[in-house]
Amino acid sequence: MRRFIQKSYMGLVFGFLYLPIAYLIFFSFNSGKSKVIFSGFSFKNYVNLFQDEQIMQALLNTLIIAAISSVVATILGTMAAIGIQRLRKLPRNAIMNITYMPVLNPDIITGVSMMLFFSVLGISLGYGTVLLAHITFNIPYVILAISPKLRQMDVSVYEAAMDLGASPTVAFRKAILPQIMPGIISGFMMALTLSVDDFVVTFFLKGVEVETLATVIYTTTKTRINLSMNALCGVMVIVVLIILIIANLPAKQNAKKREE
Amino acid sequence: MKNIIELQNIHVSFDGETILDHFNLNIRDKEFVTLLGPSGCGKTTSLRAIAGFVQPQAGKVLFEGKDITKLPPHKRQVNTVFQRYALFSHYNVFENIAFGLRISKTPEKEIKERVHEMLALVNLKGFENRNVAQLSGGQQQRVAIARALVNNPKVLLLDEPLAALDLKLRKGMQNELLRIQRQMGITFVYVTHDQEEALTMSDTVVVMKDGLIQQIGTPEDIYNEPTNPFVADFIGESNILPGTMLKDYLVEFEGVEFPCVDAGFGENVAVDVVVRPEDIKIREPEEEALHGVVETVTFKGVHYEMMVRSANYLWKIHSITCREPGTKIGMKIIPEYIHIMAKEAGTAN
Repeated sequence: MRRFIQKSYMGLVFGFLYLPIAYLIFFSFNSGKSKVIFSGFSFKNYVNLFQDEQIMQALLNTLIIAAISSVVATILGTMAAIGIQRLRKLPRNAIMNITYMPVLNPDIITGVSMMLFFSVLGISLGYGTVLLAHITFNIPYVILAISPKLRQMDVSVYEAAMDLGASPTVAFRKAILPQIMPGIISGFMMALTLSVDDFVVTFFLKGVEVETLATVIYTTTKTRINLSMNALCGVMVIVVLIILIIANLPAKQNAKKREE
Repeated sequence: MKNIIELQNIHVSFDGETILDHFNLNIRDKEFVTLLGPSGCGKTTSLRAIAGFVQPQAGKVLFEGKDITKLPPHKRQVNTVFQRYALFSHYNVFENIAFGLRISKTPEKEIKERVHEMLALVNLKGFENRNVAQLSGGQQQRVAIARALVNNPKVLLLDEPLAALDLKLRKGMQNELLRIQRQMGITFVYVTHDQEEALTMSDTVVVMKDGLIQQIGTPEDIYNEPTNPFVADFIGESNILPGTMLKDYLVEFEGVEFPCVDAGFGENVAVDVVVRPEDIKIREPEEEALHGVVETVTFKGVHYEMMVRSANYLWKIHSITCREPGTKIGMKIIPEYIHIMAKEAGTAN
C-alpha cells in the first residue's frame, strides 16, 4: 500500500510536468485543424512550420542571439570569476552579492529597466539591444557556475605550472582551464538555454523588427491558433532532449574511465 | 664552496605585517639546507622569494651571483615541490612529470627517456598511465618530486613536502629524499617545522623565528650549542634556567657550583643555562650536590620522563632508570653537558 502511494505520487508529479507537453506534441501530428479531436496522423504541421518564413527567421534570430550572447557571456563571466576569486574576502563577498542580484531580480524588472536605460541613452531598440541584454543577464549565471570550481581548485597548481617553466598565459591554459572546464561548460549551457528560453527581457528590448521564437509564439497564440505552434514546441522539446543527452554523455564516459 | 643562492637584505611584509625582516642567507652549492621554525616564522616566504612567487619590497635574490630579484618564476632555474603536491589532476603520472619538458619543447624521444629515468629515481616504474588521483599520498609526493627534478634544476625547493604523510612513511621518504639529493648532486632547500626531520636530513640548519634567523649551523651545532633559549627550546627538549657565570669554566645555578666548558662571559654575569633532559644522570642524594624530588613519572617507550623539583626549578629528566614519585634523588651533570647562553636572546654567537 505504501509503495502504491509512493508510486502514484511520483506518477502525479511527472504527469503534471510532462502530460501537457506530451499532449501538445501528440496533437502536432494531427492531420485535422482541431486541438481537441485527433483526426489522423500526419507531418503536415511540421511541413508548414518549416515553410513559415516568419518562424524560420525567428528561429534563426534565436539561435544567433543565443550563440553570440552565451559565448560572450562565458568569456566575460570566466574572466570575472577568476578576478573575483583573487579579491580579498570583503570585496569578494560584496561583488558576489551584487552578482546574485540580477539572478534574483524578476525578469520584468531587468527588461523594463534596460528598455528605459537604452531609450535614455537614445539607443534604438533592436538586434543590438537584445544581444546586450542577453549577454548581461547571462554573465551572473556563468560566474555562479564557475566560482565553486575555482574555490575547490588548488591554487598552487597554477604556481607549479609556472615553476616548471610555463608563462602565466600557458600556466592558465594548461593548469587552471582544464580544472574549471566543467564549470565553464555548465555555465555556457545555462547561458545558452536561458537565452533561448527568454521571453520577457527580449519582449521589452526587441523593438519592432526583431522576433525570436518566444516572442513569435506569444504573438501567434494571441492572434491565430494553429497547430504549427504545436509542431514548433515538439521540435524544441526534442532539441532540448538531445542537448541534455549530449551534455550528460561526457560525464558518463568519465565515470567509466574512473572505474577502469 | 661557492654560494649558489644569496638572499641579501630581503624585506617582505603583507598588510603591514613584517614577514621577513632584512633577511640574509647564503646557500652553498650541493648543500642540503633546512629552514626550520614554527609556523609564521617566514620560512615558506623565503622559499617563495627564491622561487619567485614572492616579490620582496627590498633586498636582492642572487642566483650564481646574478641578480634574479625581478625574474618571473618561469624563468628561474629552480623547481619547487609543493606542500600539497599540486599535481595536475587532469594528467596522468607520465604527463605530470613530462610537463616541464613539454613546455621547453623537448623532442618526444628525449621526453620519454627523461620521464622514465625520473620514474626509476623515485621508485615509480610502471606507474606511467596511472591517474594521479588514484595514488596514495606518498606516491603523489614521489610524482611531485620527479616532476620538479625532470628539468634538471640546480636547486630544488621543498615546502614541507612530508607534512601530509604519516609517521612511518615520513621516515622512509626522509631517507629517500637524502638518497635523491646525493644521487642528483644538487642543492636542496627544505622547509619544515619538524625539528627531528631537520636534524636527520640537513647539512645546514637555519632556525628562524618572526622573520629573523636565530641560528645557522650543522645539526650538531644547533642541538649542542644553541645560541639562545628559543633555539634550545625549539630543537628538542631542554631545561633552561637562570644561572650565574662565576668565572671562566665555573657556573652556578640552583645554589650549586658546576664546572663547565664555556668561557669568555666575564665574572659574575647572569646567563641562561641549558641542560638536555637525557644529559642528567640520576644518583643517590648523598652522592651529588644538586638534589630534587620526583614529582611525576611518564613511560615514553625508550625511556621514562620524570619531572623533578629542586629548590627553584622543575627539571625534565629522561632516564632508563625509574624512581617513584616522592623519591629524593641526586642529579649528576658533567661539564660537557652544561651549555651556557648569554642573557640577551639573539646576541650570543
